[in-house]
Amino acid sequence: MTQRYLILEDGSAYAGKAFGSLATTTGELVANSTMNGYQEIISNQIYHNQIIVFTQTSIGNTGLAQNAYESVLPSAKGVIVREYENLATDHFKRISLDRYLKRHKIPGIYDVDTRQIRRHLQQKGNMMASIVDVADEHAFDQLHATVLTNQQVAQVATPKPYPNPDEGANVIVVDFGLKSGILRELSKRDCNVTVVPWSATSEAILDLDPDGVVLSTGPGAPGNLPESVLQMIREVQTQVPLLGIGLGHELFAMANGAKVDQLRVEHHGSNHPIREIITNEIFFSGQEQGYAVDSKSIDHAKLFITHIDLVNGTVQGLRHRDYPAFSVQFSPDGAPGPKDSVGLFDDFTEFMARRRDNNDDEY
Amino acid sequence: MTTNIKKLLLLGGGPTNIGHENELDAAAYERLTAIKKTGTQVIYVDDNPFSFASEEVQPADVYVQAVNFQNVVKIIEKEKPDAIMPKIGGLNAMQVAWQLEESDVLASHNIQLLGIRPIDLRKVLDNQQLREMLTETGEPIIASKIVADDDEAMDFVRDVGFPVIVKPLSASHDTSRFICNNTDELEDALEISFKRTYIKRVSIEQSIVGYKEIEMVAIRDENGNKLLISGLEDMDPIGIHSGDSIIFAPTQTLINQEYQALRTATFRIMDEINVTGTCHIQFAQSRTNANYYVTKVSPFFTRNALLAAKVTGYPLSYVSTLLEMGYALPEIKLPEKYSKYLPFMEPTMDHVVVRIPLWPFRDIPDVDQHLNTLMKSVGSTIGVGRTVEEAIMKAMHSSQFSPRDILPSVSKVNDDDVINQLIHPLASRILILMEALRRGFSIDELSELTKIDRFYFYKMNQLLRAQDFVINNPLSPTAVEVGHKYGFGDGMLAELWHVNISTIERMNRNAKQKVTFKEVEPSAGEFMEATNVFYSSYELENESRACPGKTALVIGRGGNQLGPNAAADYYTAQILNTTRKAGYQTIIMNTNPNAISLAPALSDKQYIEPIQLGNILNIVNLEKPDIIFLPGNRHYLSNKLREFADLNMVVLPPDQKVAKYKQKQATDAVDLFIDQDRILPITTISFYTKSHRTELRYINDYQQPMAHWQREENDLITEAISKIDTSQWQGLVQVLFYKDAAATYQFAGIRPIRITESAFLNKTTGVNWIDALVKKYLGILDIDQLASYYQPGIHKRYAMMEAVFPFKELQSNRTDGTSTQEVGSSLSFRKIDSSTI
Repeated sequence: MTQRYLILEDGSAYAGKAFGSLATTTGELVANSTMNGYQEIISNQIYHNQIIVFTQTSIGNTGLAQNAYESVLPSAKGVIVREYENLATDHFKRISLDRYLKRHKIPGIYDVDTRQIRRHLQQKGNMMASIVDVADEHAFDQLHATVLTNQQVAQVATPKPYPNPDEGANVIVVDFGLKSGILRELSKRDCNVTVVPWSATSEAILDLDPDGVVLSTGPGAPGNLPESVLQMIREVQTQVPLLGIGLGHELFAMANGAKVDQLRVEHHGSNHPIREIITNEIFFSGQEQGYAVDSKSIDHAKLFITHIDLVNGTVQGLRHRDYPAFSVQFSPDGAPGPKDSVGLFDDFTEFMARRRDNNDDEY
Repeated sequence: MTTNIKKLLLLGGGPTNIGHENELDAAAYERLTAIKKTGTQVIYVDDNPFSFASEEVQPADVYVQAVNFQNVVKIIEKEKPDAIMPKIGGLNAMQVAWQLEESDVLASHNIQLLGIRPIDLRKVLDNQQLREMLTETGEPIIASKIVADDDEAMDFVRDVGFPVIVKPLSASHDTSRFICNNTDELEDALEISFKRTYIKRVSIEQSIVGYKEIEMVAIRDENGNKLLISGLEDMDPIGIHSGDSIIFAPTQTLINQEYQALRTATFRIMDEINVTGTCHIQFAQSRTNANYYVTKVSPFFTRNALLAAKVTGYPLSYVSTLLEMGYALPEIKLPEKYSKYLPFMEPTMDHVVVRIPLWPFRDIPDVDQHLNTLMKSVGSTIGVGRTVEEAIMKAMHSSQFSPRDILPSVSKVNDDDVINQLIHPLASRILILMEALRRGFSIDELSELTKIDRFYFYKMNQLLRAQDFVINNPLSPTAVEVGHKYGFGDGMLAELWHVNISTIERMNRNAKQKVTFKEVEPSAGEFMEATNVFYSSYELENESRACPGKTALVIGRGGNQLGPNAAADYYTAQILNTTRKAGYQTIIMNTNPNAISLAPALSDKQYIEPIQLGNILNIVNLEKPDIIFLPGNRHYLSNKLREFADLNMVVLPPDQKVAKYKQKQATDAVDLFIDQDRILPITTISFYTKSHRTELRYINDYQQPMAHWQREENDLITEAISKIDTSQWQGLVQVLFYKDAAATYQFAGIRPIRITESAFLNKTTGVNWIDALVKKYLGILDIDQLASYYQPGIHKRYAMMEAVFPFKELQSNRTDGTSTQEVGSSLSFRKIDSSTI
């Protein structure tokens, strides 16, 4: 058991034991408080350039399930946990977490006071951190000198379109760092999916004759993406039903004139009640957000708020007043997290069905 | 928050027994504080003499009566409540509520049933309707049939095959289920079951033995908002009653998809039955695919529903009460110490809790001790840690119920017995599982034999390796570090290395190994909550700061076994209440998740820690309490603690070793309260046993005042007082008498009033004698006031307290037991009929 260190931008250091890859990495440190689904979390592309602190005490308990990856090539920069178990159970031909992390060059540290780190982050706000062999001055210098890329989406999204054929509605998914949960839910609804690169133009998308377009989740700040993406959204939303999720939601908001701010502390978990304003009902969902739409910046002639987080008051859902276009900040696919709001995918297919039925009127 | 309910009838949980300890009373206590805030009047029915909650209600509004249909109807006719709240009374109270509905009492008195609508209650209590409802909802259930005779049962088994599970319908308690692997076992099970059912119907179902048992506890409001409190995973598979299983929270071996499927199913069922407040649903989860079955729906308070609250720090009973009364989840306001978001945030844990059951077989050895679908445990302890190993170790540490810090082992069992016990598990199963690992059974082999997930064997193996390391490296700093990491307390290390605990403490100081305390709170560090519930771990950050001002530490009793445990818990709660009201910052340490003494409102701080020397000293070193109370007879612990001369420790009641007996038989007693040289007579008591024995150890039934009090009470009191030397006897003291064949009373002895009877006195005399006793030790007792307040000798009624024994539940033929075999007591009152005096 090699001793390694997690060092933080503010000078603090935590010693622990290494697992997974022994790579030295740097990223933003975020705490995730979901109690299940370490596999889904680690493989989610939104963690590109981030080091994940798990507040759940123990990961690796169940190995990795064949059908629970959120991406093929995970891009997280590290995993920090209190306790780690390197189990692989043969019933599902699962592979172990250690093997997976080594394969994808993701370092892990366990046997650290993750509760203290979580509380520390909560107080001090977002921070950069490194996983290193020695917590010396040199390591801290390196950490302070590191500038993380702002081209995160380009690094994780598909460079080329690819199909996921089925017999239902024709859905174009714009990949900003897509999580597989979205594709799973579309497949369950028999959608004939084509995933296109984040840089796809509205013409390219509309030429695929979509019944609907999904703007996917993805890593980093929405402001890092060029104006052309917003332009694409503005054009597409007038033509076909649109669903934005996570980063896709933030981009949808910006395309319609809203501002998006960085949160002081990123929120990753599924414990916040989300209120659907129209029904006044609350539900829970996986939330992984570093940014939030500024509610004061919303142009109410274009958008209205459909969901809010009851704890931090952030906008969790938006809808366009004129078009069948809507978006949510959270992950209704439940990978990981509650599936309380998975019905939003039905709402989307409903929109698409309605559009198909009304085709004659509109065109 | 407002409500239009003016008067509320609350049904209590009744005497403690197998399947229910003080947790319902603890929940009722929390519930009453919530109801008070709404300004609603409460009528409370309960006959548990060790109920702390009933003292929170105006005495005139408490009915000390068994919760049954006849009693409740009478109370309804007299009190005319607007609403009835059965959920806190468990299954029994739900059944009473259903009888009230069936017989039209609810409708004719215009009483609202809270927590569930009558039509939905029926869906849950009637197995057939439950099955129909679940099938309609699309939830999978196992093949099952209700049969009226043996032939029908055989036909069913021919279709589905063995094994099957047989259980009587509408039986007096819900724990009897029999698993049958062949025709012989089936015939036996049918015979017993047909005897137990009063509607002559028995349910028979396909067995899913070996599946994982997963439990989900959630709440729902009238608008359909739902929140999951916690999932619980039984380590033992289906086939062992969940009450006899080791339980882990949060779930450890479910992948996200499985977990979310069960969560979604839980919510779907709750919507279907329109439940408000708490609901507890049990599932059987396949080990080889995603299939699951719903096995039990309990839209009321169960032991494990409250366990879910305890492990997460969520104030479940408080919130559930308000939801049942019709408030919406986002409207709930909690007491100040909680953050305002807490009621509607889904609890998320950054600690592990392990619950280990405790069985009564040391006190009742002559019953079948195999673990099966019939619940046999009478108590449990929890261990809380930051790792699975640490939590297991702490729970094991507590569950031995020995104050000595020794590592449990069963090395004397021979190999055949080990194999036999792996297949046919007995109580304290974890010891055999570990022993098998020690003897080289492979993890795959063990998992195959026991159907316990391999994960748990990996964890146990790690514990064994840590243990070996500690044993083989005595007094090495690394071994101390490893020991701490895996939950070995300092006391345990000292015991293993045969050194004094101060040696280990010195090593800790040198190595800067410092215990840290972490808070049990439901946001996993997101909010600075102040639940003030802590557990220890050896990490970096300590979150518990010494309480300011005068402090009192009360050392709880740990998990319940048979004997005066429910009473001891009540006693402990009284000590907390008095010290707190006397201005002390009051700290409790305990490991019994069902204890009333762990109710959040009763103390300023709670430590869920093994009741062991090392753990106590850790807390003492941090808190530096001005006074320590040690309720109950715990010789080893009190002797050990006395070695630390600077501790100001009070053992209450005083050690029974000081008792002086002339003979060990008694029929009557005089109870006295003694302060300095003042002796206040409290009352006379007559003793009874079911088999008319007079040996002290058989005495479990009490009557106050004594029989024939009019003729003999004054004389007996005078004689009792004459026996007292106040330089020897202080506090609550009992003078025993034996009425011989010639009907003369012979002096039999003097002893401190025991815990059970102290509780009885509180309930029957209207004076809180435990409070007076504690005040005496705190030096704040006003004896004149007490004397003027209490006038003995005016009797209008007899109070009776009778022991409850778990013999029927354990399928024992015994009828009468000793005081170490009682599981609880029931209290009743009878008007004194002047003609019989």
